[in-house]
Parts: sequence; C-alpha cells; structure tokens
Amino acid sequence: MLSNLWLLIAIPAASAAVLLLAGRKADRWGHWLGVLAPAASFVLGLIAFFGLRDLPGRAAEQTLWTFFKSGDMTIDFGLLFDPLTAVFVLLITGVGSLIHLYAVGYMAHDEGRRRFFGYFNLFVAAMLLLVLGNNYVMLYLGWEGVGLASYLLISFWYNRPSAATAGKKAFLMNRVGDAGFAIAIFLMLAQLGTVNYNQVFSQVGALTTGTVLVLGLLLLLGACGKSGQFPLQAWLPDAMEGPTPVSALIHAATMVTAGVYLIARSNPIFSANSTLQLIVVSVGALTLLMGCIIGAAKDDIKRVLAWSTVSQIGYMFLGVGLGGGAYALAIIHLLAHGFFKANMFLGAGSVMHGMQDQVDIRRFGGLAKYMKITWLTFMMGWLAIIGLPPLSGFFTKEPIIAAAFEQHDAWKSWVFGGAALLGAGLTAFYMTRLFVLTFHGPKRWTDGQHPHESPAVMWIPLVLLAIGSVVAGGLMASPVAKWLEPPLPAAPAEEVHGVLGHTAITVLSLVLTVLGAGLAWALFRRGTALEPQPAGPVVRAARANLYTDAFNEAVFEKPGSWLTRALVYVDNKGIDGVVNGLAALVGGGSGRLRRLQTGFVRSYALSMLAGGVLVLGALLAVRLG
Amino acid sequence: MVKLPPMDYAAIMPLLILFGAACLGVLIEAFVPRRARNITQLLFSLAAVIAAMVFVVKRAGNVTAANAITAGGAITIDKAALFLQGSLLVLAFVSLLIFGERTLEQGGAFVAQAAVTVGSEKDKEQAAKSLGSTEVYPLALFSLAGMLLFVAANDLLTMFVALEVFSLPLYLLCALARRKRLLSQEAALKYFLLGAYASAFFLFGVALVYGYAKAVDFASIHTAAAVGAGNITLLITGLGLLAIGLLFKVAAAPFHVWTPDVYQGAPTPVTAFMAACTKAAAFGGLIRVLYVGFDGLGWQFTPVLGAIAALTVMVGAVLAVTQTDLKRLLAYSSVANAGYLLIGVLAGGQLGLQSVLFYLVAYGLTVIAAFALITLVRDADGEATHLSRWAGLGARSPLFAGIFTFLLLAFAGIPLTSGFMAKLSVFGAAVDGGQTWLVIFGVISSIILAFPYLRVVVMMWLSEPGESTPSVSLPGVLTSTALGVGTIATLVLGVAPGLLLDLADKAAAFIR
Amino acid sequence: MSAVQTGEIITFFILAPLAVIGALGMVLARNAVHSALWLILTMLSLGVFYIVQAGPFIGMVQIIVYTGAIMMLFLFVLMLVGRDASDSVIETLRGQKVVGTLLGVGLAGLMATGIYQATRDYTVVGLEAANKDGNVQGLAKLIFTNYVFAFEVTSALLITAAVGAMILAHQEKSGVKAVGQVAKMRERFLPGNYPGPKPGPGVFATSNSVATPAKLPDGNPSQRSISPILPTRELTAAEKADKPTLTGGA
Repeated sequence: MLSNLWLLIAIPAASAAVLLLAGRKADRWGHWLGVLAPAASFVLGLIAFFGLRDLPGRAAEQTLWTFFKSGDMTIDFGLLFDPLTAVFVLLITGVGSLIHLYAVGYMAHDEGRRRFFGYFNLFVAAMLLLVLGNNYVMLYLGWEGVGLASYLLISFWYNRPSAATAGKKAFLMNRVGDAGFAIAIFLMLAQLGTVNYNQVFSQVGALTTGTVLVLGLLLLLGACGKSGQFPLQAWLPDAMEGPTPVSALIHAATMVTAGVYLIARSNPIFSANSTLQLIVVSVGALTLLMGCIIGAAKDDIKRVLAWSTVSQIGYMFLGVGLGGGAYALAIIHLLAHGFFKANMFLGAGSVMHGMQDQVDIRRFGGLAKYMKITWLTFMMGWLAIIGLPPLSGFFTKEPIIAAAFEQHDAWKSWVFGGAALLGAGLTAFYMTRLFVLTFHGPKRWTDGQHPHESPAVMWIPLVLLAIGSVVAGGLMASPVAKWLEPPLPAAPAEEVHGVLGHTAITVLSLVLTVLGAGLAWALFRRGTALEPQPAGPVVRAARANLYTDAFNEAVFEKPGSWLTRALVYVDNKGIDGVVNGLAALVGGGSGRLRRLQTGFVRSYALSMLAGGVLVLGALLAVRLG
Repeated sequence: MVKLPPMDYAAIMPLLILFGAACLGVLIEAFVPRRARNITQLLFSLAAVIAAMVFVVKRAGNVTAANAITAGGAITIDKAALFLQGSLLVLAFVSLLIFGERTLEQGGAFVAQAAVTVGSEKDKEQAAKSLGSTEVYPLALFSLAGMLLFVAANDLLTMFVALEVFSLPLYLLCALARRKRLLSQEAALKYFLLGAYASAFFLFGVALVYGYAKAVDFASIHTAAAVGAGNITLLITGLGLLAIGLLFKVAAAPFHVWTPDVYQGAPTPVTAFMAACTKAAAFGGLIRVLYVGFDGLGWQFTPVLGAIAALTVMVGAVLAVTQTDLKRLLAYSSVANAGYLLIGVLAGGQLGLQSVLFYLVAYGLTVIAAFALITLVRDADGEATHLSRWAGLGARSPLFAGIFTFLLLAFAGIPLTSGFMAKLSVFGAAVDGGQTWLVIFGVISSIILAFPYLRVVVMMWLSEPGESTPSVSLPGVLTSTALGVGTIATLVLGVAPGLLLDLADKAAAFIR
Repeated sequence: MSAVQTGEIITFFILAPLAVIGALGMVLARNAVHSALWLILTMLSLGVFYIVQAGPFIGMVQIIVYTGAIMMLFLFVLMLVGRDASDSVIETLRGQKVVGTLLGVGLAGLMATGIYQATRDYTVVGLEAANKDGNVQGLAKLIFTNYVFAFEVTSALLITAAVGAMILAHQEKSGVKAVGQVAKMRERFLPGNYPGPKPGPGVFATSNSVATPAKLPDGNPSQRSISPILPTRELTAAEKADKPTLTGGA
C-alpha cells in the first residue's frame, strides 16, 4: 500500500467525478457510492498505517511525477506518508466515513443528495491531498481544494440568502489567509529555492531571524484563515448555514484543523523563532477565550457548537505555539476533538431532524425522553469536551493547560496558563447550558412538534462516535505522543518546573469545570426566557460576536467597496464623469445617458495620453533627476 | 549593382505560406460559389496553418546563431521566435475552428454584408438567413502572418509594418458581428482610432531611437546603448514612446481602455482570436524589444514598467468585480492577465522569459475555450452574455457549466489547472528576479479576481434556472473540438506542465 | 554640406510657424473642409523641410502623394458625403478640452525638453554617406536590400485595406423581382398610396438643402417632399414664418 499512496486520494476523487457528472441516473445509488469511497480509503489508510510501523524510517515518500521544473527549481507531485500524516488520514477517512453514512439518512429528503455527496467526496479527496503532500505546493493544492469544496457546501442550500452570504464570507476570509500562505510559498522559493518539507526544514537554520519571522507570520495568517482563529474567525460560525454533516466533517473535525496541521508540519520553522511562538500562543489564547465568551451568549445550537470549535482550535493553537512536546499534545487534542465535536454536531443534526429544523435552543427542552440515543451520545460528547475524567477531553485538554503553565517566563505561564484554565471553566458553563436547555427542563417547543428518534443509519454513526469520544483520549494520549515523533519534536528531557504543580493544575481545572457546569445547571435547569433578556455590556458584546464583525465591516469592507466604486466611476465615465453623471441625473436626457454607458473614444484617448505623459515623465525623471 | 540579400527560405517559409494563403483566400472569394465558400475557406486556412506549423517544427531542430538572422537582417528566426510562432499557429488553429462554426446559428457568427444599414428590413432578413461573410478567413490569415512576423522582427521598422499588418485585419474583423451590429461597429471604430493613436506613439519612438542609435535593428541599438555615447535621453524617450505603442496592444493600464468595449462588441470568435493571439504576439514583440534591444537599460525602465504592471493587475481585478457582462468580465480579466505577464517580463533572465512563454500558451488555450463556450449559450437574439442570464445554467446543462467552471477556476489560478502553473511560474520568476513587491501586488490582485469568477460559478450552480435562462446550444464538431482542446490543455498543463515548460525553457533564448 | 546654411535657417523660420499654425487650424477649424485645407498647409511645409534637409525624394513624395493624392481624395469624400456644419463640435464632456490641452502641452513639453537636452551638442553625421549615389538611389538600395521584406509585406496591408473597404462598403443588389406593368399600376393605386409624383424639397432664399421640406399651402412642411432616410432639417422660426410679401405687411 505504501507504494500506491495515490489510491487514497484517487478513490474519493473518482467517486466525486462520477457523482457530479453522472446525472440523474445515479440518483438511486449515488449516495452509497459516496459512502463507500471514503470507507475504501479508510481501509487502505489502515493498511498503510500498519505498514508504516515496521518501516525503518517510519516514512514513505513517493514522487508521482515532476510537477514543475524551471531552472534549478523543481516541484514534484510527491506524497509523504509519515506518522503525522497517518493519524490525519485515519481521522479524515474514519470519522469521514461515519459522517458520510449519517448523511445518507440526513439528506434522504433532499433533491440534491447526489450532488451533495459529490462535493463531499471532493472534499475528502482534497483534504487527503492536503495532508499527504510532501511539499508546500501540494499542501496548497489541497488547501485550495478544501476551500472550494467547503464554499460549495456552505452555500449548498442556495435558496437561503443567508447561506449564500455565508459562503461568500467564508470564501473571502479564507482568501485573505490563502494570500498569506501563497506569499509564504513564494518567499520559500525565493530564499531556499525549494518547497519540499525536508529540504526547507534542513535549511531553516540558514535563514535570518527576520525572514523566519516573516515566513512564520505568513504561514500563521494562512492557518488562521483556514482554522477560524483571530482575526479571521468570523466566517466559521456563519458557515453553519450548510447542511449539518458538512458542519460536522468540514467545520469541526477536519478542514478547520488544517491550520493546526500546517503549523505542526512546519514545526522546525516555528520552533526556530521564539517571537513567532509567542504570537501563535497569543492568537490561540485570545481565540479560545473569545470563542467561550461568544459561545455562552448564542442561542442557535449549531452556532454555539461552532464557537466552541473556534475555542477548541484555540487550545490547539496554544499547544502548537508552546512548541516542544506540546505539538503532539495539540494533535492528540485535535483527534479527540474530531470525535466528540463530530459526535455533537451529528447529535445536533439529529435533534434538528426530529424538531423540524428548529435550531433555537430556547425552543427545545425535555428532549431526553423522546430521543434517548441522541441524548446519551450527546451527553458523552458534552462530558468529553468539558474534560470530565475519564472521558477523552480530560486526557487531551489537561496536558495543554499544564504545558501552558510550564513556560520559562513566569508571566507567560500565568497569562497563558490562566487563560487556558479560565477557558476550561467557561467551556463547562456554555456546553452545560447547551446540553441542559436542549435535553432537560420544561418543554418550550413551538406548536406542532413531534420529536422522534432518528433512523438507524443516523444513530449508528452517533453511537460509534460517542464511543470514540469516551475512550479515544485515554487510549491515545501516551502512545500517539510517542508515535508522532520524529515528525514532531519530542518532549524535552528536562522538566520545566512551572509556577504550579501538575496536581494543582488538575485540581484547579476540575474545580473550575464543576463550578462552571454547576452554575449553568442551576441557571438553566428550569429553562430560559423565550425573548432576549436585557443584559449587561459583556453579554451584549458577546451576542454581537464581541463586535468583531462590525470592526471588519468598518475597517475592511467599506473602504474596499468605496475604492471599487470610485475606480469603476473613473473608468466608466472618463475623467469628467463626475460632472457628467450629475448633469445626466439632473438633465435626464436619454440620449446623453446612452452615450454615458458606451464610453467615449476621446475619453479613452485622453486616458492613454495621460498614461503616455506619465510614462515619459517618469522615464525622463529617472534619467534627468 | 544592388543585389537582393540572401533569403533563408526554409526559415521564413511559415510567413510566406501564410501571406500566400491569405492572398489566395481573397481569390477564393471571387471564384468559389457562395455555398461552398465557408467550408473551402476554412479547410484552406487550416491547411495553411498546418503547413506553416510543419515548417516551424522542422526549423526548430536546426537553429544556430549563424543562420538565425535572415532577409537582410530584418528577421530573426531564433528559438524564442519559433516557440512564439508555433504557439500563435496552435492558438490560431483552434480559434479558426470557432470561426468556421455554422451549426449554432444559420450562417455563423459573422454578418453577410456589413454595409447594410443596421436595423433595416434588409438587415433583419440577412441576420436571419444569409450566409456569413467568408472574407474573415483571409483577414485572419493576414493578421496571423503579421503576428508571426511581429515576433520575429529584428528591427523596429519591420516590427512596425508587422504591427500594422496584424492590426488592420483585426479592426475589420471586429466590425463583422452578425448580431448587435452597432456595438460591433462601434468597437471596431474605437479599436481603430485608438490603435492608430498608439501606432503614432510607436512610430515616433522608432524615429527617436534611430536618432540615437543611427540604426533601427536591435543589435545596433543594443550596442549603442551599451557604449552609451552621447546623451541617452533620446534613447530613453524613444523607448518610452515605443513602450506606449506596445503596452496598448498588450492592454496594460492605462492603455487598456479599449479592451472591454472591443472584446464585448467584436464577434466572439474574433474576441477569442484577439485574446489569445494578439496577446501572445504583443508580448512576443515586447519581450524582444526589452530583452534584445534595450536589455542594457533595465534599471531605467524597470521601475516605470513595474508601476504599470502593478496598476494593470489592480485595475483589471478591481473592475472585473462589478462587471455584469461575461465578455466584459473576461476582458478585464485579460487586462489583469496582461499585468501578470508584465510581472513575468520584468522578472528578467531565462526564468522570466520561460515563464512568460509558458503563460502565453496556457492562458491562450484557456481563454479560447472560455469564449468558445460563450458562443454556445444563446437565445433568439444571439449570445446571452449578461451574467444574470447564466443563472442556473448548471441545472440546464451540467456538462457545459462544469467545463466553464473548470475554465474559470483556471483563470482564478486554482491548483491543478494551467492557470495555477502559469501564475506560479511567473511569480516564482519575479521573486527570483528581485521583484517581490510586484508579486505581492499580483497575489492580491488574483485574490480579488477570484471573486468575480467564483460569483459566476455560484450563479451557474446554485441558482434556480429562471424564465430567461437561455438554453445551451449543442455545439457542432468545430466548436466542440476547440472547446475540447482548450479544456484538456488547461487540465494537462495544470497537472503535468513539465513538457511545455521544458520546451519553453529551451526556447527562452534570443539571438541578437 | 552637413552644416546648416543660412538659407535653410530662413526657410525653417518661415515655414515652421506655418506648419504649426496649419496643425492647430486643422484641429480647431469647425468645418471639415477647412480642416483638410489646414492640414494641406502643414504637409506642404513638411515637404519643403524634407527637401531642404537633403531628402528630395521623401519631400516630393510628401507633396505629391499626401498633399496631392490623399488629401484630394479626402476632400472629394467630404464633398460627396456632404459637409454639414450642423455636425456639432461642441464638447459635451466637461473638462475634456482643458485636460486634453494640458496633457497635450505637457507631452509636447516633455518631448521638447528631452529632445533638446539630447541633441544640444550633436554633430550631424552620415548624410554624405547616405546620399553618396544620389538620394533616390540610396533609398532604393535600402528598400530593396535590408527592408525588402517589410516593403513586400506592406502589400498585405494594401490588400487588407482593399478587402476591408469592400466588405464594409459593398452591398450586393438583392434580386429584384420582375413585376409586370399591370401589377405595378395596381399597386400604385391601392388605397393608402399616393399615386401622384412627390413634391420636390423646399427651395428658399436661406436654404436649398435636400433636407429642407417644401411648404404646403397652409405653411406646414410637407413630409413627402423629402426622402425618408434623411433627417428632417428643422426650420428656424424666421424661416417658418410667412414672408412679408405673403402677409402683405411691411
């Protein structure tokens, strides 16, 4: 299998092509093909995984063909299967297969089910390409591919204007990140002449500190865009407009963690500059708190989960930013998060399925009786994310918090460790709020609701994922950490003695968790008001996404659209268009309006003349000046 | 006794074939019955292009520094010239296929008699029934021959004549649309007037350069500039004026103003021909002037051309955002692409040259396919190019909407398409050549530009087809071939561009 | 011979202002025919310059071909199409003229500065060598050796121009159906048709344009009197008013 890695990508890609091009003929069996493709990749991934264990270097590299050769610069279409890739492949195809299976039931009544599975398979193929590449261009290739697939899937229900807008928002914010990533690749080409992982990492030492910093910041910008981290976080909650399986697979378990993958993969670059690491840690800490606070104020079940994703990825960024052994901790948390967050999203989908697509948690309540399996599985996810031992969150989040306390500088330990600890308490609060309001307390349903359990094709994946949420953390924590080195650095032999001892941190975080959960239980046990309540400034700010959207609009969108409008104006109407446009508005002569639209050749000639004068003037200025 | 200079007929054979075929094409108009003209002219033109291609390929094997310059020093058939000529022939071949399409519309895309008053009874009658004019083939051949000469010209005078030879037929071709004839005639007139204006700049530049170098051939200009005797202000001024003429043809801002109007008004097959071939020829001429004649003055013109490149990529991208007509959208995209190409030109060196050569072919094939597809989406009044009309096309015709999506993704530079490879090579070369600031502009511009493309994609796939969504006509074998070639090339050059890149690498050498 | 002689200087200073005035006149004249005539003045002056600068052939070509042939053709066309002063030359784009003038002056200034800078201390060389065998012979030699290809290729330009003129201007006669005399008469007297001859256009003291409609007895313009494809020339109030001889007034 290790010599045929391309099959992993080719199977879902081929399936996507069949589904998208086959037309209505495939409507009857298309979704099963869509499920089989990632499952087949999963089996192949498992075979490759076991093959890898016995391989001496524990990495299989394979060059399919030379993509691009110019001068002494070569970019190969090459694949790399090493321990880091292996865990991602298994997560993508494993959790992916379960979500595909679930989607068969969830999308059963949707006309576009075949198309949906086509895009879904396309996403899996692109995501596998992203993690399997052996150089940054391949990574970028997959990066763009998943972006495209996610864009198509977010706007899948195009007849909802909010879905179309959300798609656009996701696209634009991602492009900002992509630009950073693209420039980073060019920078690598310019400075190192290569984009191959091994070659880049072996030469990082030769770069100046400034170059490493810039390179790292550009990569970080890309990672923030894809992973919904500050300041590019706004698109992720809006992306919940897509069908729920999309939210589960793309916007919780896999694609949004691509940023973490990028940073973990580039660990030699990030480890080479401590300023860079500090920035990553700050982004992570800031985002994780922000996600918690906003998540606590939202009433839409999927948006709460989305902000919780933002916050959990903040933990992962915190982990990869800490460097050293914490890289592996972040990846392990990523895996566990893949299970419990997918589980909860699918659970939310199951609730919506039974409640006629209601998403407002104020309109749920008392569902535990009607949807036993969903309730139980969701509970596993809830307990896992708040980090109750011995569920998986405890084993994966706790070490990150501990690592945040174990830094050389005391102030860093207090700031970032404190943030992580506070985050744990807040997480417990808002997740409990979500759980209680949905499944317990009095019924607050709208009229005509008859909640019912979802069909087997939907609850079987739920059960499997719930089992994963319970046991994954405990089982994976230490073996995976070992498995992940060499691609990731090993934990340093000498222990840094943090400002707090391990036990103290664990106790503190458990106390905070219980406090948060207990508070939420006490507050929401009896349900909640159906109308938005007057609230203090903090809650209002949280409801408004901490005003980040308003900030974006004021700082980026408005000037951008003004610039566009101004340029269009000048171009369409010539230098004198302003006056003319006014005259046309006032005078309203239709002939004149018609002529305005066509554009005057003498205006064109004038702009050429102006260009000519500028060109000549500049040339002569260079010459004579 | 004046003797004719030695002519290397093997080297200039492609030119002779095309000029000869164009002249014969005019005679075919006179002697072949009207019904048989289209097919005769089409096959004849294609045969001429193939014959020319054969000679180009044959020549490619035995180019040496000694035998490259011929015809009394007027023409250089070096490897770069051969690569450009070959690319032009391929691109023209594919475009000519769209010229010949007659199944989409009775009589094809061209008007039968351009002199008939627009909107008159006779005009309505001819729009519906008459066979299209077939003079377009000899005109296109003349234009193509001019382009081949333009990229191989070894002195500025020959270059100017070639410029006119390839421009004049284009002005005429623009005026010959069957539908929306006023727009077409207006486009032709605008193109003609502004083209003449730009030519005047070019010619003035030639005169000033001659004043300094006392010659118009590139080798002498190079030597004179290298010696640097006297006051080179004259040379610089001359170069500036030359550049204006050339930048007009490549559609760089602020000399791009004609592009949207002309692209929109011209018959779509002609637009495809212009977008692919004119761009290739104009850049071929530009790189020859800059790399062969004025390479010693790089530090003088690089900042100015760099500013123009930055302006071009931004203007093209920003204005594309608000367009509502597909042909105008592609026109602004072609402006932006001219900017990316300029970035490659400024990268300099072997790498820059190679990337530009690759880009020209990759972009040309994609853009021809895109315009070929635009000819398919039509209603009773001809092509439906307004963006809103394309809403929901994915439901009507998934195959064609899929192909168009793919082409747009290629324009947007999404990986696994030739567009990505082309941008990567151009930007890579520019970073290598120390023009990182231009690359930053380029990347920002391509991000902005991705938005209008994606908007079209979303419209096609994620909207319900409305009452006004036109149907997609089934293309005849000619358009299908053109579309297929363009699409497959876009894919192949995106997945395995190695072959063409190697070829461009080998070709990236000028002989002075 | 290459030194500038007094006669040349005198010629230059007489003709150069004329050439500039001619060029300005061409741009500024309101009447197309006047513009053409101004242009001829400029071209003639340039022709003389060429001759004075020891380029007799190009000078003569300038006069014979440009001034003689091309401009005359131009005038013919102008006359044929009809010169109508009502073609508005009023600039509708505000600022166009000002900006255009400024930029034009700017370009001229830049070029003049550049060229003056560059040629201030030039010594002119090579004229004797170029005209060694005579001006025409030297030119011919260049045309038929170094530039023979370009020279031949210009024929393509001419063919293109000829083909272009034809496709843009030529209209094939549509097959006219032969109609018998009887049918024609019937058609003529069908209801709704006006069987009589149509009146000619108006002929007035102030206007004899074919676009001026004739007046009917009641003073209204007759639409039948002008061709339907011509835009009707609006009569001014003074023209429309009945003449004093008709009204019997003073």
